[in-house]
Amino acid sequence: MITAIIKKDATESMTWETEADEIARRRELALAQGGAEAIAKQHGQGRLTVRERIDTLLDPGSLEEIGPAAGSPQYDDQGQLIAFDPANFVLGFGKVNGRRIIVGGEDFTMRGGSPSPAGLRKSVYAEELAVQYRLPLVRLHEGAGGSVGGTGGKGASLPGAVNTPARFRSVAQAMATVPVATAALGAVAGLPAGRLVASHFSVMSKATAQVLTAGPAVVERAMGEQKSKDELGGWKVHTKNGTVDNGAEDEVGCVAEIRRFLSFMPDNIYQLAPVLGCDDPVDRCDEALLTVVPRNRRQAFEMRTIIASVFDVGSFFEIGRGYGRSQITGLARLNGQTVGVWANDCKFLAGSMTAHGAQKARRFMELCETFSLPIVSLVDEPGFMIGSQAEREATIRHGTAAVLTAAMTTVPWVSVMIRRSFGVAQAAHYGPEGYVIAWPSAESGPLPVEGGVAVAFGKDIAAAPDPDARRRELEEQLSAKQSPFPRAEALGVHDLIDPRQTRPELCRWLDRVQPLLPSLLGPTAFSIRP
Amino acid sequence: MMTKIEFETGGSVWKLLVKPGDRVSQGDTLLILEVMKMEVAYPAPVAGEVTSVYVAEGDAVEEDQLALEITS
Repeated sequence: MITAIIKKDATESMTWETEADEIARRRELALAQGGAEAIAKQHGQGRLTVRERIDTLLDPGSLEEIGPAAGSPQYDDQGQLIAFDPANFVLGFGKVNGRRIIVGGEDFTMRGGSPSPAGLRKSVYAEELAVQYRLPLVRLHEGAGGSVGGTGGKGASLPGAVNTPARFRSVAQAMATVPVATAALGAVAGLPAGRLVASHFSVMSKATAQVLTAGPAVVERAMGEQKSKDELGGWKVHTKNGTVDNGAEDEVGCVAEIRRFLSFMPDNIYQLAPVLGCDDPVDRCDEALLTVVPRNRRQAFEMRTIIASVFDVGSFFEIGRGYGRSQITGLARLNGQTVGVWANDCKFLAGSMTAHGAQKARRFMELCETFSLPIVSLVDEPGFMIGSQAEREATIRHGTAAVLTAAMTTVPWVSVMIRRSFGVAQAAHYGPEGYVIAWPSAESGPLPVEGGVAVAFGKDIAAAPDPDARRRELEEQLSAKQSPFPRAEALGVHDLIDPRQTRPELCRWLDRVQPLLPSLLGPTAFSIRP
Repeated sequence: MMTKIEFETGGSVWKLLVKPGDRVSQGDTLLILEVMKMEVAYPAPVAGEVTSVYVAEGDAVEEDQLALEITS
């Protein structure tokens, strides 16, 4: 086909200029994406094109595109190129804050992002490239999955051969090898939705994105349920159920979150996370920490105040704030070095381990284990969530999965007992051979006194002349036993600390575990699944 | 502008500190929910007048249930 377009005079000369011109012309046509009308429509709906998204993500001029010549040409009767439809997935190397990554995204201006033959090949290649070059992978999603019409290319009606490599193996391998960050920027359905969640960090645009296993038309046909895209899979649904980690106001906000996530991460499992310069003194003490936990055990406190205080100023990056809210997870820095942060939020269901919270915690630990990130655990765990809803949600199974995940980790842990540490659930907050320090407000035991007294001393309380007074008396006696002082005397914790000293303690701990980190690099016994 | 205050979790209303017609400043505690034996204060997200209160002390409430409205 190509030979047909070569002009006669060109074949007789020594130059390849005609072909070089055609390469340039194809490049130009590829940059036109779905055409001016389709781009205007995309903009009219308040969304960027995939190339604009990539430009927003990458350092200026750093895109090195892979497969820009892939696509479908159209020729006239004379064999002259008259049009070129580029593959509707843009893929390449690029840099974020000077560090190379792999980036890809569907082009919604063509076929609504439903893969063209070359587009499908490029999209599948994204994970393979990331694994091969050991580079972080960013996917910027907007598009539907397959169409019953097929990908529309020649041979498209042929099913894959039996010896074709398993399609999703590279997706799983990428998650076990390099950081994968994804964004939903428009409607993301079917296969792209599956790839969106096959990530270590995902974010969706509140203004423009929906995530759908299947869209409204398919749902209505199959289920008789009439729902809009937002009702089915808008941010209010998916940042609350854990499908997507974070929500950002718009596309630019999503990209900023991805850049921030990547700043904490190593390039791959064979490297340690980068250490940044740090202006925040390691010995900084915070007077406010002495009063942050109320002496009245019934009164809640703001765990995020403690987090903001003890890590490098402004470094905390929360992941999954909208779901499993009794558990707080994220990344932060101590003296410039990345650590995983896990804490309880007693303002939400008393900080108890719910089914969602447990799944969030498990994924968090798997992330840290995969990328050899030390874990800082700020403990205020009253135990598994109880009640009929908790039973329906299989809390005990998801919770125990979190407990066993913690038991299998090999990364260094430090656990700070802030307040409560009770039941089986609390075991998830301590790593094997972890360093444990306790605030004076710490209480621990098989279960909180208030619940335990009613069960263990029910008859005693009922028989007393003043049952309420007897109950309070028993509670007081028993809560004295849950104090951290006897525990420290028995070497049940490494130390009791003045809360004001928490940051210096954490920084010293992180310094001590440095020699352990290099030996953790490489594949882990278990990695992370969505 | 009307601001709706909804419960973030289920629980029971332990203290209701405002009534319709009260003026509140941002950060004032509107009510205290008891959840799993913990007291969780709900501060006013905005200053304004409490125009409607939909719960009473002792009520068992559910996640996302409307508690009250503030008009600013």
